Amino acid sequence: MEITLQNLTKVFQSKKEDEVVAVDNLDIVIPSGKLYGLLGPSGCGKSTTLFMISGLLKPTEGKIYFGEEDVTPVPPEDRGIGLVFQNYALYPHMTVKQNIMFPLENLKIDKKEGLKKAQEIADLVGIGHLMDRKPAQLSGGQQQRCAIARALVKEPRVLLLDEPLSNLDARLRLQTREEIRRIQRETGITTVFVTHDQEEAMSISDEIVVLDEGVTQQVGQPQDVYDKPNNLFVAKFLGTPPINLFDGRIENGKIMIGDAYIGKSEAEDQEVTVGIRPEGFKIVERSSFQVEVEFVETIGRDTTLIINHPNVEVQGSFEDPEEEGDVTTVEDTEFEALNLEMGSGKSIQDQKTFRAIVDADYGVQPGDTVKFSVKPHKMHVFNKETGELV
Amino acid sequence: MQNVENVEELYEDEQKIRFKRRMRLALVYAVVIFFAIFIIIPFYWMVITAFKTETQVFMSPPMLWVNPGEWQWVNFSLALERAPFIRYLANTVLVAILSTAGTIITTILSGFAFARLNFKGRDVLFMILIATMMIPGEIFVVTNFLTITSFGWIEDQTFVEAVLAMTVPFMTSVFFLFFLRQAFKQIPDELYYAAKVDGKTDWQYLWGIMVPVALPTITTITILNAMNTWNAYVWPRLISQREEFQLVSNGLRDAFDDTAGRIMYHEQMAASIIVTVPLIIAFLILKKYIMRGVSRSGIKG
Amino acid sequence: MLEQERNIAAWFYLAPALILLAIFIFYPIFNSFVLVALEDYNYLQQTYDGFTLTGNFRNVLNDPNFGQAMLNTMLITFVSVPVSVIIALLISVWLNAIPIQKIQGFFQTVFFLPYVTNAIAIGMAFAFMFNRRYGLINWFLGLFGIDPINWINMGASYENAMITLLIYITWLTLAFKIIVFLSGLQGIDKQYYEAARVDSASRARILRRITVPLLSPMIMYITVTSFIGAFKTYTEVIGMFGERLGPPGDPNSMTTIVALVYDALDRSGVPGAMSEAAAAALILFAITLVFTFVNMQVSKKRVHYG
Repeated sequence: MEITLQNLTKVFQSKKEDEVVAVDNLDIVIPSGKLYGLLGPSGCGKSTTLFMISGLLKPTEGKIYFGEEDVTPVPPEDRGIGLVFQNYALYPHMTVKQNIMFPLENLKIDKKEGLKKAQEIADLVGIGHLMDRKPAQLSGGQQQRCAIARALVKEPRVLLLDEPLSNLDARLRLQTREEIRRIQRETGITTVFVTHDQEEAMSISDEIVVLDEGVTQQVGQPQDVYDKPNNLFVAKFLGTPPINLFDGRIENGKIMIGDAYIGKSEAEDQEVTVGIRPEGFKIVERSSFQVEVEFVETIGRDTTLIINHPNVEVQGSFEDPEEEGDVTTVEDTEFEALNLEMGSGKSIQDQKTFRAIVDADYGVQPGDTVKFSVKPHKMHVFNKETGELV
Repeated sequence: MQNVENVEELYEDEQKIRFKRRMRLALVYAVVIFFAIFIIIPFYWMVITAFKTETQVFMSPPMLWVNPGEWQWVNFSLALERAPFIRYLANTVLVAILSTAGTIITTILSGFAFARLNFKGRDVLFMILIATMMIPGEIFVVTNFLTITSFGWIEDQTFVEAVLAMTVPFMTSVFFLFFLRQAFKQIPDELYYAAKVDGKTDWQYLWGIMVPVALPTITTITILNAMNTWNAYVWPRLISQREEFQLVSNGLRDAFDDTAGRIMYHEQMAASIIVTVPLIIAFLILKKYIMRGVSRSGIKG
Repeated sequence: MLEQERNIAAWFYLAPALILLAIFIFYPIFNSFVLVALEDYNYLQQTYDGFTLTGNFRNVLNDPNFGQAMLNTMLITFVSVPVSVIIALLISVWLNAIPIQKIQGFFQTVFFLPYVTNAIAIGMAFAFMFNRRYGLINWFLGLFGIDPINWINMGASYENAMITLLIYITWLTLAFKIIVFLSGLQGIDKQYYEAARVDSASRARILRRITVPLLSPMIMYITVTSFIGAFKTYTEVIGMFGERLGPPGDPNSMTTIVALVYDALDRSGVPGAMSEAAAAALILFAITLVFTFVNMQVSKKRVHYG
């Protein structure tokens, strides 16, 4: 089932008559059978978008189509969707079996057939042996699977997942994201999920949509988006450790950071922001980009060099209030949107340092002077004013 | 591709859903209003009867409305003359203040011990106290009457003795103790350690920190306890040996019993209003505290 | 995390409450069992004619009003409790469904009013509402062509008087239940409702399958306390019927078990009256214990905790 979002807009009205645009004129087509990740920092409108697709929130403007059918006026119960909440929202007083059966009962499906279906779906997600347990007796990962089973059992046209991995510990996250990927492949249901964790989004999505302040920044396959960011926001948001930003300029087709020559550009002369991925540095014999290493962190096969540089652009980091396992409800999305408008969710890192990941074999020590060349495909140059790619 | 017909159909669909939602809401309001009327009518009847003349009271069919210009305010002074209501009100206020003050002090002290101090047998003692909440009060009434008698507070009763008999047995409450202990327990230990570091004694900590922090709960207890006294009927009736020692509920019931013939309903209702209105005003002002107290009592179950 | 034992200090803080509880709670419990064991006990002279195991209980059972009191108490309990619990639950759910906070708050206030009302005062108002000739109820029924009914006046039937009493008790006890249910409802995570909506559950099904089970600890609590409260009905009867405990000409027809306790206490000078009162109170206690126990057994199966 192809999902089309057309000029989708959601405006929340705060008490003081202020309007907050949570989602602004979103146009996205999610192809049938794909796994799509909506990615962005907290308050970017991704949960709002998901809840609009589910029907729990009504768009202020714009339309939502499932295939050819306009579902905008259709209430959630008639949309044929499965929704997995961030905290799963499993009914605590029902067993796993009863939880999975619940949507079927509402559809008035014959009990025997329902039981068979519930068992099948529970087996698919790997909790077939836990049918008589209550949610409190399940681990986080099992609860997650139970919630997915409950969403899948009625054979929804669309599966929606809200921050599916945020309540799991690191080890379970890895395991569960593979599991989600497998289940989605096996069922072939068009799936949309929301996350603030770029690694999570990149690892399982067929395609990702990067959102900021309710506006689409970029859509594409994860690696493409990572390799070719459209603008500064996308470049900054994707990648851990984050991309390094430098104050630079283009002079006669040369990209310069201070006095150092970094690479070539065909664009006209201008002040630019140069973004270089930490893995984009190569230690070389001769280069004008010469720096003194401040600290060295060696973790496994990689060595990270931390380097002071006067041209580093101080950048805000993205805070994740949701990381603490907070639960978003439909109402909260409104609350959050209104809240973010008032205070900024960003903190400033004012160290003028950048990170370079190099091979441990170089044996660099703190205090050493090294010369870098920059891999062209790991470097992105953005217009200083607009943040657009040059 | 959407054709024109389709769009209209969709529009109708949306209208239908909206209509359904409105109908549902209208139904909710209708039912809620119906029950609200059921609750309000006795109050209305009480008020409107209190403003009628005797002739109007005994009319059939009854008068449902009296014009404000014809309201018989005199009924209130008649009601007050029929029995020493001012005295009853004064008695009730005095008894309420004393028993509430006693309850507050004893529960604060014991609540502190249970919440903050470590002593032998604490948990066992607390369990025993909780268990007594299951026992109906009538079990206590019989013996307490004997105890009060043996204190000499019944025979040749003076006013002071009557007040003592009405207050002393109610100067503590297991339920309020339980309630206050919960509030005290929620105060973080760090505050206690900080006070200790500053050289405060337990006594100073209790009255300087714990009581102010738990003030909302103490307020709730005060209100609920005062309400209980205001509505008390059985115990004061049992132990007050003279008519003028009674509380409002007793006075209200006795003054308008129908053994003396026809009941003066307008005066009876006027007296009822005098008894009811102070509590309703208190409720409207202190709604937050009362509701919190009651709903907490529900959660503990 | 607590410090070392502080026994002396603790007992100092506990003393005022414990002394009062010892005199007015613990001693009476113990003394009740002493009283029922004494024959013809006269508290004024401190005399008794020996001991008895069942004599005082037999006196209560032989009280001419005992059968009536038992019947009335059971009727009140088994009619008013289920009816008021169900009505309170429905009102709370509907009240909670009102989207505008101010309006919801207004209705909350209305529904809570009976909680702060003096049972005697409003009982008298009810009595006059149900007056055969001058009351509001018969006028209202008259609009539908129903002849005046003698609810509680001279010559009223037992059924009519009991129905009136039940209506009054239900009215009076709704408020407490609504407060508790409403706070319970407001504590239920909204995501369950969102999830149920996505799962296409109808409103009735959401109520039956989600709201009621999640509220079940509170329903249980309310049911237990309401049963205990209903067994102790007494002031309500006095409010409506006065000390006569029945319509004029039919005294004690609305009597209850607690009324037996106070009747006996009123005869306190008569030898054995105190023991009879204690026996009646113990019978009441036994009944509440049994019902609490039954309720607990039921709750083990049907109540979802945490």
